[in-house]
Amino acid sequence: MRWGMAIDLKRCIGCYGCQLSCKAEHGTPPGVFFARVLKQEEGRYPTVRQLFLPVLCFHCDDPPCVDVCPTEASFKWPDGVVDIDAEKCVGCRACMMACPYTQRYYHDEEQFYFPGNGPTPYERARSQRHEAGVVMKCNFCRDRVRAGKQPACVANCPAIARYFGDLDDPTSEVSRLIKDRGGYTLHPELGTGPAVYYLPP
Amino acid sequence: MEVVSEVTPTCGARDDVWIPSTCGLCYGTCSILAHRVDEVLIKLEGNPDSAVGKGRLCGKGVSGLMTHYDPNRVRVPLRRTNPVKGIGIDPGWKEISWDEALDEVAERLRKLRAEDPRKLFIQRTTTVTSSRTPMQVFAGAFGTPNRSSAGGGLHCGNGAHLISGIMHASWSVVPDFQYCNYAVYFGASKGHGAGHASCSNMGMAADARARGMKMVVVDPMCNFAAAKATEWVPLRVGTDAALALAMCNVMVNELGIFDAPYLRAKTNAAYLIGPDKLYMRDVASGKPLVWDSSVNEARAYDAAKPDDMALEGDFTVNGVSCRPAFQLLKTHLARFTPEWAEPITTIPAKDIRRLGTEFGHEARVGSTIVIEGVTVPYRPVAAIAFRGSQGHMNSVYNFLAVDLLNQLVGSADMAGGCLGFNPASHGHPETGRPRYIPKPGPDGLMVTGSWMAHHVPYPIREPRLPEELGMQDLFVLCQTSPFSDSADREEMWKKFELPYRPEILLNYGTNLLMSIANRETVAKSLTQFKFIVSFDLFLTESSEFADIVLPDCDYLESVDSRPNFPFIFSLPGGMGEWCWPIKQPTVKPEGEQRRSSEVLIELADRIGMREDLNAAYNAILKLEGPFRLQSDRKYSYEEVCDAELKTNFGAERGLEWFKNNGLIKWPKKPEEVYWRHFVDVRVPIYWEFLPQLGEKIAALAEPRGLKIPRHYYEPLPDWIPCPAHDDPGSDRDLFAFYYRDIIHTNSFTMENPWLDEAARLDPFSYTIAMNAETGRRKGIEDGDEVWIESRAGRRVKGIVHLTEAVHPEGLGIAACAGHWGDGMPIAKGKGVFFNDLLELDFDHVSPVNLNLDLCVKVKVTRAKGARR
Amino acid sequence: MSVTSGRYEQLIQDLRAEVRPQREWIERQGLLLIVGHFLSGVAAGTWLFSLVFHFPAGLAVAYAIAALSAAAHLGFLGRPARFWKMWHARSSWIARGFVGLTLFLGGGVLYLIPIFLSASPWQSGSLIAQAGYFLALAGMILLLFYKGFVYSSSKGVPFWTSPILPALYLAYALRGGVAALLVICSFNGINLDSSALGLLELWIGISAAVMILFYLGVMSGSSPIEQYSVRELLRGRAAVSFYVGTLLVGLGVPIGIGLTGLGAPLSLGAVALVGLASVIGDFFVKYSIAKAGIYRSLTSSPHWRDKSAAVAGVPPLSVKP
Ligand SMILES: Nc1nc2c(c(=O)[nH]1)N[C@H]1C(S)=C(S)[C@@H](COP(=O)(O)OP(=O)(O)OC[C@H]3O[C@@H](n4cnc5c(=O)[nH]c(N)nc54)[C@H](O)[C@@H]3O)O[C@H]1N2
Ligand SMILES: Nc1nc2c(c(=O)[nH]1)N[C@H]1C(S)=C(S)[C@@H](COP(=O)(O)OP(=O)(O)OC[C@H]3O[C@@H](n4cnc5c(=O)[nH]c(N)nc54)[C@H](O)[C@@H]3O)O[C@H]1N2
Ligand code: SF4
Ligand code: SF4
Ligand code: SF4
Ligand code: SF4
Ligand code: SF4
Ligand SMILES: [Mo]
Repeated sequence: MRWGMAIDLKRCIGCYGCQLSCKAEHGTPPGVFFARVLKQEEGRYPTVRQLFLPVLCFHCDDPPCVDVCPTEASFKWPDGVVDIDAEKCVGCRACMMACPYTQRYYHDEEQFYFPGNGPTPYERARSQRHEAGVVMKCNFCRDRVRAGKQPACVANCPAIARYFGDLDDPTSEVSRLIKDRGGYTLHPELGTGPAVYYLPP
Repeated sequence: MEVVSEVTPTCGARDDVWIPSTCGLCYGTCSILAHRVDEVLIKLEGNPDSAVGKGRLCGKGVSGLMTHYDPNRVRVPLRRTNPVKGIGIDPGWKEISWDEALDEVAERLRKLRAEDPRKLFIQRTTTVTSSRTPMQVFAGAFGTPNRSSAGGGLHCGNGAHLISGIMHASWSVVPDFQYCNYAVYFGASKGHGAGHASCSNMGMAADARARGMKMVVVDPMCNFAAAKATEWVPLRVGTDAALALAMCNVMVNELGIFDAPYLRAKTNAAYLIGPDKLYMRDVASGKPLVWDSSVNEARAYDAAKPDDMALEGDFTVNGVSCRPAFQLLKTHLARFTPEWAEPITTIPAKDIRRLGTEFGHEARVGSTIVIEGVTVPYRPVAAIAFRGSQGHMNSVYNFLAVDLLNQLVGSADMAGGCLGFNPASHGHPETGRPRYIPKPGPDGLMVTGSWMAHHVPYPIREPRLPEELGMQDLFVLCQTSPFSDSADREEMWKKFELPYRPEILLNYGTNLLMSIANRETVAKSLTQFKFIVSFDLFLTESSEFADIVLPDCDYLESVDSRPNFPFIFSLPGGMGEWCWPIKQPTVKPEGEQRRSSEVLIELADRIGMREDLNAAYNAILKLEGPFRLQSDRKYSYEEVCDAELKTNFGAERGLEWFKNNGLIKWPKKPEEVYWRHFVDVRVPIYWEFLPQLGEKIAALAEPRGLKIPRHYYEPLPDWIPCPAHDDPGSDRDLFAFYYRDIIHTNSFTMENPWLDEAARLDPFSYTIAMNAETGRRKGIEDGDEVWIESRAGRRVKGIVHLTEAVHPEGLGIAACAGHWGDGMPIAKGKGVFFNDLLELDFDHVSPVNLNLDLCVKVKVTRAKGARR
Repeated sequence: MSVTSGRYEQLIQDLRAEVRPQREWIERQGLLLIVGHFLSGVAAGTWLFSLVFHFPAGLAVAYAIAALSAAAHLGFLGRPARFWKMWHARSSWIARGFVGLTLFLGGGVLYLIPIFLSASPWQSGSLIAQAGYFLALAGMILLLFYKGFVYSSSKGVPFWTSPILPALYLAYALRGGVAALLVICSFNGINLDSSALGLLELWIGISAAVMILFYLGVMSGSSPIEQYSVRELLRGRAAVSFYVGTLLVGLGVPIGIGLTGLGAPLSLGAVALVGLASVIGDFFVKYSIAKAGIYRSLTSSPHWRDKSAAVAGVPPLSVKP
């Protein structure tokens, strides 16, 4: 059993829905993004395209971030999800230096979205759980998945461009999409074995 | 609505529910589920049960809680203490009680109504669809014809809605994503960022893309739709009509492709036109004549069989030589060769020819398809347009020329074609409501079954000396008018002897100071109101001109029985489900905010117009039988909502039922979606009424010194340049235009810190997109701060982003940003205030539908020293 | 603007940019980590040579420096109170460094007390002192080696992932040790075999210089990100500290003086200068290389580029502006 994701770049419209639904789900502090959408131009006018690249923690099979962690705060669940135990994290940021995909963010100090106003009721309920002085990242929406739901960014994607499932099961939707559409991972040359695949546009 | 299982276990939570309601961050009105735990909203998700959004929300929708819990929201009624009004002038707000506020407002309104109700001007934001009914009802009851939706019609709608209404019986058009194979977008982002049913369309467009639908996007910028297109066709801003007409010409005159049976049966193509450009009419019945080739004589259009109607040829009827409208169109089109269009649009003739050819061939004229056992014509091509192409002086022709593509190949509201949003509904199977179907009107031309604005686009009203301050009763083809704020409004009112002047403005949300045009002009008009009341969430730049601000409840605190009705607005088009969701309160307001809908009822009562209000509700909500409001009783808005729901869906399905179930839905029938094949109505490919209308308006206007340019009133579309196109200024060499950002709604959401943060990370949201080569030529580098200056000398500042993805002559500016007020501190100073470049007067609106001209020829210079 | 919001603005700019510099290990508290790394190296080196030259004062100083290093490390952590959790050395070089420092401080104290405290309950040469000696030795060895590997195992920063760095940082640690000794001696006028030390110093200095050049050579020959880092070092944000701190002061001065010293033995002052300069250089080499660290970019991923370039191949439209 290994959780993984396929992101269909043909369907993706760069709407930021994943980045923002993730924020809404986890109440991540300012400047912390478990999901992001990158934009890039290809070609020269007028033969040019805007390309969108939605990214998140790739939940590597051989995660450098875990190798360098001195406290085992960063660890891998048996189902392949790479997670951080905030209780154990000393905030040494070695994992940020180790992640080849810049998917880790240092939550340096408690901070809220309306400067000078303290936390909103929402932030009190959702954001204040996150302790400061530690590193944060996507956990494949562990709680939702445990509750039998899809990750927030997958369930919400308006273009239905994100698919989540078991990479070890060749019959799962993700596995089939990756096989049929020739899914690929980013920086495969690093041998990190990401669990997030992209389907070509 | 069954409670969805908890996402994150919030232990020991007593209050823990998912409440079905409706998003309010743009007019897309997607269905949401609000997760409330211990009286706090902790998550908004899409409602998977609903056809509106299908359980998915756009980035704005999922961020709603950051707007809802914004500490900068207005929480108590405010009165200004500083009588002086102006941009940047502190109103000196003083907190007052609701009673004090309502007394004062009611008192003034009561006086005004007794004096002359027309002196009340009512304005609402387009962003909050739910504000439509209460404001419309209040205006009706009060007795003022003066309602407006701020920048609404002026920017997005006077062309799009007029022509979608006359040609498709709907508010707007969209490709039939399920069956379309080839869609051409003329300045619309539907399915890729904005527009009606925008979130639902994103999924449907992605399906179409996956299915292999080809999409050609005609747009000065390769932004959202173009990014996903099979082909991006960059054009010079505002020249869409030239391209569309050339494509029509290629189809009709070069390839001989057109759908004759459709044109005969569903349009006025066969109507005989005399030398006076008017219909030849049956002497007895006065009905337009067609040439019946089976008997070789002219007959009333409804007396001849469509198959026998002549589309081409010269005929003589009672000694008058005449030709079918189609013959005139065909001849008219001949002059619009691709070679003619190339220098206007900058699109190479060979490409124009190719596009026309592809469109014609892909249309598969003559083919049919069986959908759910019903056979309908199959025309898998669509030419759609929206805000972009119609936001010009040439608004009407730009949009009409594009729709001609659909009309010529018969793809209008046929399977795979260009669909209006749900123009026909047979109603819920149990109650037969809501039922509306387009019907034939004067001369057999289509009258819509359902409409949004005060008057249906057809039949066309008789122009008269204006009694409406926007003069929509003189320029009868316009929905929203510039003359409520324009620089020349007083001059106009004098010219046309407007018997009164507006004195009180009742505003709902609209931030017109930013959303219409240059702020100087709008500010001037605002200062001329004796008294301004504004229902607001925030103290916007515009509320700073108000005398009293009433803190409103937001969408998560309000109720609405019809957030998504009429269906012609934001219910996804095509096959699928009819879906009627409601909006309901999910939490209580944190401050003293009250629902504007209730406040309006309270005001009506204090003014002493309860009867009129109830009567207006009965009329506008079409309340019937036991559910009609009694004239003497005071109802809460919840009761009104309850009445509407019961009228439509039966006594057992009132507000309570909907609060639990969230929505009701039932399947669409092919006879509804592809109604045009089944309903005997015709649409005008030849606008016979235009020349007459032009004359009638001129007869009133020209004696009073306002010239009506007749070439805008010809029955067949043409390309007419915008002022920007004939601007001689040699150093003004770029066309500035704006476009919607996918994560911002007009001027609203820059205050939402999540959206603002995302926008700051985006290369385009807050910058000015300039073609890289153009930048190089001008010695401007990426990140440079520049001044953009218009012919009138208006200047705005911004940071340049050099890109390959914009036309070399174009300057693309996102959203309606550039806030300067302190009421929205997160938004303040973010992005570029494009509208400050726009002139607002008769010379810059379409002389037909008064749509504002949204392209500006500008000069760009580096702000000195600035580079970062 | 509060510190955090200042950081925030900076982060937003970084996330917008094509190339994103690492700041966590160089700016604000991040600087303490570099200091900590530097001190731990000097400490280990000094301990080593003090043992070689039987120089108790040196041992004491080395111990003090190590203690400072420990303090700097703690100051850097986001959650210092949890420092004791950092012992998972299975694959983490940070953990190995932490273990090294612990062994060193623990063992060191056992070894040093009898040397300086006549009243010590145990004597030099006693079992405890012996144990302390070996523990400190083990700690020293770890401290000499670990930091280079901390960098070279940072896959997120291509500029660091080079096998040369461990060697380079080892060299600098040794040199730092020698340098520290030179300084100490010269200050309290003790006359160790300074010319031998000088030679050693010179030799390590030159080899370090060679390694740096080799390192930069390799890096500028590899992927765009590494090249960008090299630019940062030679022309960018790290240039000043590199030229002045690392090259001029750190290598130029010591090697220069060292060469002149080949003939006649150096004055104590000159020896001190060589020592100081080398120590400073030791700090700045770490500072510069950390500062020039740039994160790997996602959009530069080969597959993504090739595959997505395909879509850009739309039917060409020859538009006339
Ligand atoms: N540059 C530029 N100009 C534009 C546009 C653009 O995209 N760019 N769009 C144009 C178009 S097509 C339109 S329709 C207009 C729209 O222009 P507006 O009608 O002014 O709409 P918004 O700018 O979205 O502002 C919506 C306002 O409604 C308020 N509001 C939101 N929810 C509520 C509520 O529940 N109650 C109350 N009382 N107020 C609420 C918000 O505070 C916000 O100030 O702008 C036009 N102008
Ligand atoms: N995300 C988001 N969604 C929204 C809104 C929003 O503000 N944000 N606003 C809502 C409202 S009020 C409206 S009216 C709709 C509007 O929805 P759209 O009509 O999609 O709005 P725009 O993006 O303004 O215009 C569409 C395209 O026209 C292009 N364009 C500009 N000028 C020209 C031209 O002369 N010719 C051609 N061919 N293209 C041109 C622009 O680059 C843009 O890509 O969206 C609604 N939905
Ligand atoms: S939500 Fe879906 S469509 Fe939007 S950016 Fe993310 S992946 Fe792309
Ligand atoms: S993407 Fe980065 S953070 Fe995520 S598992 Fe891989 S290395 Fe670790
Ligand atoms: S920051 Fe936390 S998670 Fe990252 S390596 Fe250090 S201890 Fe582990
Ligand atoms: S899986 Fe969950 S945590 Fe990860 S990016 Fe998506 S929403 Fe965020
Ligand atoms: S499209 Fe409009 S209504 Fe729908 S979720 Fe987005 S903001 Fe809300
Ligand atoms: Mo609009």
